[in-house]
Amino acid sequence: MSGLSIGGSQIDASWFLILAAILFIIGTAGVLVRRNPLVILICIELMLNAANLTLVVFSLQLHNLEGQLFALMSMTVAAAEAVVGLAILVDIFHVRDVEDIDELSEMKG
Amino acid sequence: MSTSQLALSVLLLPVVGAILLAGRGWRLPRTFTKIVGPGVVWASFAATLVLFFNNASGDFTYWTWIKSGSFEVPFNLLVDNLSIFMCLVITGVGALIVTYSVGYMEHEDGPSYARFFTYMDVFIFSMLLLVLAGNFVFLIVGWAMVGLSSYLLIGFWYQRRSAVLAARKAFVMNVIGDAGMILGTFVLFVSYQAITYSGVFRAIAGLHECVYPRACIAPLAHPLDSPTLELAAFLLLVGAIAKSAQLPLHTWLPDAMEGPTPVSALIHAATMVTAGVYLIGRMHPIYDIATYAHGTVAIVGAVTALFAATIAIVQTDIKRVLAYSTMSQIGYMFLAVGIGAYAAGFFHLLAHAFFKALLFMAAGNVIHAMHDEQDMRKYGGLFRQLPRTSWSFLIGSLALVGVIPLVGFFSKEQILGAALSKPDDSLALAVWVIGAATALITGFYTGRMWWMAFGGKPSPERPVAVPHEARLVMMVPVLILAALSVVGGFIQTRALGIGPSSFSDFLFPVLGRMSWEEGAGVVVAGLVTMALATLLFLAARRFYVERSWKPWSSRLPWAQRLLERKYYFDEIYDSAFVRPMDGIADVGLRDIEKPVFDGVVVGTGRAAVAGASSLSLTQSGYFRNYVLVFVGGAVVAAVLLLIRANS
Repeated sequence: MSGLSIGGSQIDASWFLILAAILFIIGTAGVLVRRNPLVILICIELMLNAANLTLVVFSLQLHNLEGQLFALMSMTVAAAEAVVGLAILVDIFHVRDVEDIDELSEMKG
Repeated sequence: MSTSQLALSVLLLPVVGAILLAGRGWRLPRTFTKIVGPGVVWASFAATLVLFFNNASGDFTYWTWIKSGSFEVPFNLLVDNLSIFMCLVITGVGALIVTYSVGYMEHEDGPSYARFFTYMDVFIFSMLLLVLAGNFVFLIVGWAMVGLSSYLLIGFWYQRRSAVLAARKAFVMNVIGDAGMILGTFVLFVSYQAITYSGVFRAIAGLHECVYPRACIAPLAHPLDSPTLELAAFLLLVGAIAKSAQLPLHTWLPDAMEGPTPVSALIHAATMVTAGVYLIGRMHPIYDIATYAHGTVAIVGAVTALFAATIAIVQTDIKRVLAYSTMSQIGYMFLAVGIGAYAAGFFHLLAHAFFKALLFMAAGNVIHAMHDEQDMRKYGGLFRQLPRTSWSFLIGSLALVGVIPLVGFFSKEQILGAALSKPDDSLALAVWVIGAATALITGFYTGRMWWMAFGGKPSPERPVAVPHEARLVMMVPVLILAALSVVGGFIQTRALGIGPSSFSDFLFPVLGRMSWEEGAGVVVAGLVTMALATLLFLAARRFYVERSWKPWSSRLPWAQRLLERKYYFDEIYDSAFVRPMDGIADVGLRDIEKPVFDGVVVGTGRAAVAGASSLSLTQSGYFRNYVLVFVGGAVVAAVLLLIRANS
C-alpha cells in the first residue's frame, strides 16, 4: 500500500477511497429514498463530490495532474448542472408547491 | 454535307417537326401545323433522295451510348441500299399520307390537330430509326417506339372506348414481339459478344465459313445449322410476326382500324407492319443458316396469306377488308423472304406500299364523303358520283388483284414464280400452291369490295345521296399513288421473264440474288393465275351487283359463320389467356394480395403499436423509479466487470 503525504503525515490512500465510497453511497441512497426535490439535488452534488475526491486521490497517488484537472472540470459541470436543475425546480415551484417528487409523474407512458 | 450528316438529318428532321408541334404548337395559327407536319417529312424525303442519288453507303458511328468494360453500345446508322430503300418508302409514301391528313383531319379542333401531326412525325422518326439503326439496341428502341406511336395513333380518338381497347390490344400484342426481339438479341450477344450488325454478322460468318454479304454464298447448298442461331432466329421471328400481324399474333391489326384512316394507310398498311419483312431481310445472314426458322417464316407467311384472304371475303367494313388484305399481302412478303427470294419480297413491299396506301386513302375519301359510314353494304353506286376517287380505287384494287401491267402483278407473280421454280424444295412448292390459291381469293374479295361499294345502284340506307368529291389536298396524294401503282411495276418486270430488274439489282449488294434460276413455266403460271384472279374479280359482280348467282354463303352457312367470327381467334384468345388471367388476378387479389401483402403491411403497423403500448408501461413517470433502474443497472455492470477482472 502506498501512502499519501498530506501535511507531513503519511495516510493510506484507501482511507480516502473508503470515504469517497461512503459519500457516494449516502448520495445514491439519498436520491433513491428522499422525496424532496431540493434534497435530491443536494444528494446528486454529494455523489459528484465523491467522484471528485476519488479523482484527486488517484491524481496524487499516481503523480498525474490530469486527475485534479478533471476534478476542476467536473466542478464546473456540476455548477452548470445545479443551475439548470435549480432553474427547473424554480419554474415548477412557480406553478405549484412540490414537496414530493412523485407528484411530478405527468410523463407517465 | 457529308453522308453521315445527311443520314442523321434524314432521321432527325421528323423529330424537329414533332418538337415544334408538341406542347404549345397548337396555339399558333393552324397553317403552322399544316406546313410543319408534312413539311419535315418532305424534307426528310428530299434528304433520302440525295442519299439515293449519291449511292451512299457506310456504317456511321456518331457517339458511344453505353460503355462498360468491354461492353459497348455505339449509336451508329447503317446506310446501305436496303435502308435507303426503306427510308424512301417511309418518307415518300409517308409524306404523301401526312399531306393527305392535312385535309382528312380538318374537322379536328386545334389541339387534336397538332397532336395528330406530332404523333405522325414521331412515328416517321421511329420507323426511320428502326430501319437505319446499325445495332440491335437501337433496332429494339425503334421497334418499341413504332409500337408506341402506333398505340398513340390507334387510340387517337381516346373518347371512344373501342379505340382505347384496340390501342391496348395492339400494344400488348406488340410487346410480346418486343420480348422476342430482346431475348433474340440477348442470345446473339451472349453467343457472339457483339451488338452491332456488322459485328454479329462477321462473327457468324467466321464461325460458319460463309461470307457476308450473302452474294458470295450458295445458301442451302451446305446447310450449316446451329441451335444457337436457330434459337435467335425464332426469337427474332416472334418480333417480326407480332409487328407484321402474322399468325398467330395477328388479332390486333383489324382492330387497329379504329384509328384515323391516314394512320391505317401509313402505319397499318405501308410501313410499320412491313417492319417484320425488313427485319428478316436485314437478318438474312442468320436466316440463311438457321434453315428451320427460315422455313417457318415461309410457312407462317403462306398460311397467314390464305387465312386472312378468306376472312376478307365476309367483312363488311371497308377498312377491315383492307386490313385483312394487308395481313394477306404481308404474308406474301414473308413467304418470299422465307424461301430466300428477298428482293421479290421487298419489291412486293414497295408495290404494297403504293397500292394499299392508295386504297386506304381512297377509302378515306369515300368514308369522308359518306359522313364516316364504313359499312360497304350502305354504299353502292359511287362510281359515277366520285369519279376520281373511284378510278383511283379501281387502279388500287386491280393492282391488289395483280392485273397486268399494274405494279401488283409484277411483284406478286415474281414471288410466286420464285416459289414455283425453286429446285428440290417441296416446301417452296407447297407455299406456291397456297400463294396461288390466295391470289385467286384476293381476286374475289377485292371484286366483292369494289362492286359492293362502287358498283350497282345506291343503297337505300346510304347516309349521303349526292356525295362530294374530296378536296385537292386529299385527292393529289391519291392520284400520285395511283400513277405510281400503274408505272411502278416497270422497274422490275422479271415476272414476265423479260425486261429490267433494276429493283433487285439495287438491293443486290445487301441481299444478293436468288440462288436459283426461274423456270420456264413461271411466266405461264403467272399469267394463268392473273387471268383466273381477274375472272373471279369480275365474277364477284354476279354475286354482289346483279345478284344473278345465289350467294355462296347460302350453300355453306357454317363456313360463312366461321369466317365472320374470324376463325374464333379472338374467342380462343379470350378464353385461353384473357379470362384465365383475369381469374388468376382475382384469385391473387382475394387470396394473396389481401391476406398476405395487405396482411404483412397492416400487421407490421399493428405489431408496432402493440409493442409500443406494452413498452410504454415501463414509463411510470416516477423519477425515483428511473433512478433505481439506473443504479441497479450500474451495479450489475460493475459486478460483471469485477467478475471478469477476477477470472
